Amino acid sequence: MDQAFHIADEEIGGVPVVSASGEIDVATAPPLRDRLQALTTSGRSTVVVDLLRVTFLDSTALGVLVGALKRCRESGGDLPLVITEPRILKVFEITGLTGVFPIHGSVEEAVGSVS
Amino acid sequence: MVDGKTTTVSVDLSIPVQADLVVLARLTAATVAGRAGFGVEDIEDLRLAVEELCLSLVCSREDGRLHLTYECEDDSITVDCSYEAAGGESGTPGRDADDLSLRILDALVDEHGRDVRDGRPSAWLCKRRAAATA
Repeated sequence: MDQAFHIADEEIGGVPVVSASGEIDVATAPPLRDRLQALTTSGRSTVVVDLLRVTFLDSTALGVLVGALKRCRESGGDLPLVITEPRILKVFEITGLTGVFPIHGSVEEAVGSVS
Repeated sequence: MVDGKTTTVSVDLSIPVQADLVVLARLTAATVAGRAGFGVEDIEDLRLAVEELCLSLVCSREDGRLHLTYECEDDSITVDCSYEAAGGESGTPGRDADDLSLRILDALVDEHGRDVRDGRPSAWLCKRRAAATA
């Protein structure tokens, strides 16, 4: 599996979807933070974050997602995540964040939950 | 175990404090654990735990070096990490690891801790091989 970090975004059903792939760590989290910050400060209160192709994620990445979630909720929106990889889900479980983020099994499901 | 003696492998790694080089610490952890026959789940746990260990010392620093020692015995791997400030001066202790890092370390390794050795902020962890299940 490709470990290189990559980020892309599109709009599905009027909802912005940010898709990340590869390893999100202390070196690669800043571009994700910047992208989410740009969306949430430009009036988008809900953003779907697709982590289906993420192979590694540390506490720096969790901090970025928690910060974005806070901004979304402050403006009445949400930050649904898309995760199916057990290793990535485990990181959310052991940090107690599965009860904080809405987590979905597909982008379509996540978009449907907020459309 | 060889002839009743414990087999120990020790690997040292020294890296500049640079965000894009922390990956080397976790790659080394994975390599050492893989060569010692640890399972995939244990290796993945160790990779993330070593990342968090380094982050707990680095904080927002962008200079100095991290010195890591990986010691692998029959059923466990110990990773010791210390921070050396730029110019070889003693480093000031970093902030306590944040809550997310601590939760990750608590969940993924058997023991971990922080101290100051020879004036250097240090942190360590120990991961034991998961017991085989029937």
